[in-house]
Amino acid sequence: MWRFRSRLFAAASAIVCGCVIAAARPRYGGTLRIETHAVLRTLDPAATPLDVSDAAARTRLLPLVFETLVAPDPAGGLRPLLATSWERDAQGTRWRFQLRPDVRLHDGSRLDPAEVASTLRARVDSWQVSSADEAIVIASDRALPDLPWVLTDVRFAISMRRASGDVVGSGPFRVERLEAGRLSLRAHEDYWAGRPFVDAVQIDMGVVPPEQLSHLELGRVDLVAVNAPDVRRVSQRGLRLVESRPLELMALVFDVNRPTPVGEPIRRALALAIDRAAMCTILLQRHAQPAPALLPQWLSGYASLLAVPLDRAQARTMVGARPAAQRALTLRVDPSDSLAHAIAERIAVDAREAGLFIKVEAPDTLAPRPDVRLVRVRLDAKSPDLALARALAALGPRTTALVAPDAPPEPGASLADVYRYERALIEGNAIIPVVHLPEIYALGARVESWNGPLILATGAWDLAAVWLGADKP
Amino acid sequence: MSLRNRLTLLVGGVVAITVALVTWTVSASARRAFETMDARRTAASIAQFRREVANEGDEVVRRVDRITASDAVRHIAIEFRPSSVDRDVNEAVPLANAQGLDFLDIVASDGTIVLSAHWPARFGYKHPWATALSSDRPGAFLQAVELPRETALGLMSVRTVTAGDRRIYVAGGRRLDQQFLQSLVLPEGMRALLYRNVEPEVSRLQLIDASANVAQAGPLEPLIARVRQSRAEAQETVVWPDGPETIDAMPLTGRDGAVLGVLLVGSSGRELAALIGRIRWTGVVLGGLGILFGVAASYGVAARVTRPVEQLAGAARAIASGDWTIPSPIQASGAGEIDALATAFDTMTRQLVDHRERLVQAERVAAWRELARRLAHELKNPLFPLRITIDNLRRAKTLPAEEFDEVFTESMTTLATGLANLNAVIGRFSDFARMPAPALEQVSPNEIVRRTVNLFQAQLDAPGRPAIAVALDLDPAPGTIRADPEQLGRVCQNLLLNAFDAMPAGGAVTIRTRRGEGVVRLEIADTGEGLTEEERRRIFTPYYTTKQHGTGLGLAIVQAVVADHAGKIWVESEPGRGTTFHIELPVSAPAAIAALAAPSMEHTS
Repeated sequence: MWRFRSRLFAAASAIVCGCVIAAARPRYGGTLRIETHAVLRTLDPAATPLDVSDAAARTRLLPLVFETLVAPDPAGGLRPLLATSWERDAQGTRWRFQLRPDVRLHDGSRLDPAEVASTLRARVDSWQVSSADEAIVIASDRALPDLPWVLTDVRFAISMRRASGDVVGSGPFRVERLEAGRLSLRAHEDYWAGRPFVDAVQIDMGVVPPEQLSHLELGRVDLVAVNAPDVRRVSQRGLRLVESRPLELMALVFDVNRPTPVGEPIRRALALAIDRAAMCTILLQRHAQPAPALLPQWLSGYASLLAVPLDRAQARTMVGARPAAQRALTLRVDPSDSLAHAIAERIAVDAREAGLFIKVEAPDTLAPRPDVRLVRVRLDAKSPDLALARALAALGPRTTALVAPDAPPEPGASLADVYRYERALIEGNAIIPVVHLPEIYALGARVESWNGPLILATGAWDLAAVWLGADKP
Repeated sequence: MSLRNRLTLLVGGVVAITVALVTWTVSASARRAFETMDARRTAASIAQFRREVANEGDEVVRRVDRITASDAVRHIAIEFRPSSVDRDVNEAVPLANAQGLDFLDIVASDGTIVLSAHWPARFGYKHPWATALSSDRPGAFLQAVELPRETALGLMSVRTVTAGDRRIYVAGGRRLDQQFLQSLVLPEGMRALLYRNVEPEVSRLQLIDASANVAQAGPLEPLIARVRQSRAEAQETVVWPDGPETIDAMPLTGRDGAVLGVLLVGSSGRELAALIGRIRWTGVVLGGLGILFGVAASYGVAARVTRPVEQLAGAARAIASGDWTIPSPIQASGAGEIDALATAFDTMTRQLVDHRERLVQAERVAAWRELARRLAHELKNPLFPLRITIDNLRRAKTLPAEEFDEVFTESMTTLATGLANLNAVIGRFSDFARMPAPALEQVSPNEIVRRTVNLFQAQLDAPGRPAIAVALDLDPAPGTIRADPEQLGRVCQNLLLNAFDAMPAGGAVTIRTRRGEGVVRLEIADTGEGLTEEERRRIFTPYYTTKQHGTGLGLAIVQAVVADHAGKIWVESEPGRGTTFHIELPVSAPAAIAALAAPSMEHTS
């Protein structure tokens, strides 16, 4: 009797263990359904983004198809991709990238160094790009100390246009079809890092976040972006969340083209009046960080040095000393950005406590220039100099016209130069950073990731490691 | 103005005044009645508003109670921690929407806003009034609610939720806006407006009615300002382009007595104005008809009354003007004062006519007698020597031929002289009886006067004659008159001769000419003996004379000549004070005179 029971127990255990093991084992197959707000206009990595939405889509979607030589890693460094190693000369004017061998493109052809060189050569005229011995050599007349970081940009993804007109890459997925509002990808069977688990990825573009969330709740989609205020709702429904590091800056940018731009005292008072902590804690459910500077702390390391403390009393004093006509401002936000709208409303409440009356407007049509805008700026997870340069480029060349700093630091500038420049901007209140936002995604019930989170700290999508489990009740 | 017209005007005026009085009375009565009714409607509308506000307040209380009792709020009360982040700032929105509330705040015990449906971004800030309420205010109250872009007026209710030792406040309410005003059912011609007193100064944007912001709010601003300041009801009549409107304004106070709103109930005066207009038009029409009827009636009545009076007056005028032939206008019917007047007038007229005829007859007889006496007197003188001469001839028949011839010749001479005298006398009478028609021409009266005076100058200058001074007071610009210079000269001569005869001891004669309004006046005044009253009355009677000699036809001829020239002559005199003859001649001859006048002759000097 005892023996029978022990055998029965052993058999049951084996069955349970088998089920558990089976449940944890990734499975091949299925179509991963994704919805994004951004819309991809063209698949050519070399093409200039047509708008902000296109640029955002390219940053996340093109790497699924086209790979760069190197990529940022979550630790803040670089990881090899199509290049396994790289070295430079002492001056930094010549770089050599060793290509990964036996990389197959989507059309089955082998990655040809000459084609790689040709692709890169077409990107930048001033580079002398050559190939030799499964390596790419990039030379320049001037020093390129951060060339690997530069090459992480999707513009330098390796793509080849075939005679049929198709553009092929080496990414884990190949393009099956790009049609209005939908990008259909197929798994690259010969992907050098191993075939993706899912057979296909279907990406519906141009879907507003509230709809994305609804579709996720209904089980129609597996991966959507989520705004911070909606995190609680997602969690209450038992859905999982993944988020990147703070990769986005929400900042107040004053319009310098108005006949009478907002004066420095008012800008300063506004900076003192904003309660960033409460905003991040309550409104953004701790899925944001107060932004003392343009670049987040994890990228620059000096952001905390530029923090402006909350001081409403001083703000009131400064505002009280100004004429009444200067105490009313208009703040414009993107009418399609509900998160920006919520943040803008909170800024208006904070400003009112300091005696400033801010009218938040989100016009759909032409409207008079506002005093200030609340803008979102994507921060490339690269070096501080590149990130700052890209951020200032995104903000516009005249954004800094209210103060008179020196010219923005060039890519490759030292951290000290970057710090000095950003400090001048912050102290002059030409731009008021508000919060840094991560990219937050909600996952459907059947989404599993084999090799760590499918959203990296850098914001990149690691969809090759995603597999679809059985639908959970 | 004739009696008939005066009577007509009087009757018409009485009718018009009566109609006007009636119209005014009716208008005033209608206005009072309307105002009374209007006041009642306004009071009813205000009462309705108060009821609706009370009902709305009760509804707000019920809905806030439901929210307070809901699991969601209880959960918040239980789970809330000041440091807790586990809440959605928009969590209050569905709670408010579910209960149809426009405002919902969930406030912590320290007054910090936990959640806000109408202003989610305001979390963490102190609520201005939720925790300041005392516990003895179970009902709803009026409150100004701050919103991101405005301040609204709301009916609010506050409840507390206690969970163990934790307490939260639930403050909810609904807006007092156009929708609320739309729920009011007002009579035709009335409207309700709400002024939300949420700004320091009166602002037109805060005045709303059931449709939207009031377009023409300017005229209402003073009334609103008055109510804001006085916190008392007030009334004012505003005149709009399409009519007047009476506005009653009452303050709406909050929990602390502050004026948070002003309710304005307008009652259009267009209906009253239209009614008054219709009454007045009716009055005008009826008045006009009444006046017409009155005029017609009074004309007919007046005609019956005034026609005999007018006829009597016309007859009296005719008689006064010398026309004695018009018969009495009204046959005496033996009834009424008018008939009595007509009968008396008729009798009087007959008697006057009778008397006149007798007088005329008597005068005619007297004139004939006078004429006969004068004729006998005039004829007797020249006839006496004729008779003597004839007797002498008869006696001379027996005388020798030579003596007979002498007597015959002497007698023939005497007879011829006597016959000539008789011819002269008869000629004068004949002249008077057969006055020639005047030969009219333009003559200067001053010239005729001067010529006449020159005729007598030699006589006046004759030695031994009593001194008679002749003074000329002639109008320097008398113009000319249309007259017969010969006849007019004779007139002046006769009058001057009479003046000279009246001053046997000398005296003064003044001849005066003056130009008047279409006439020329000639005056000849002397300082002679003057005339008695009887003489003055009879002086123009033919053959009447005060002289020992003379035919008595001179002044009659003067009067006839003046009459032939359509003029007038009269005399002023008193015994011992001289006599003045006045002649007034028209500048242009009347048509009748001109038609009878001889063809005009060129006056040759």
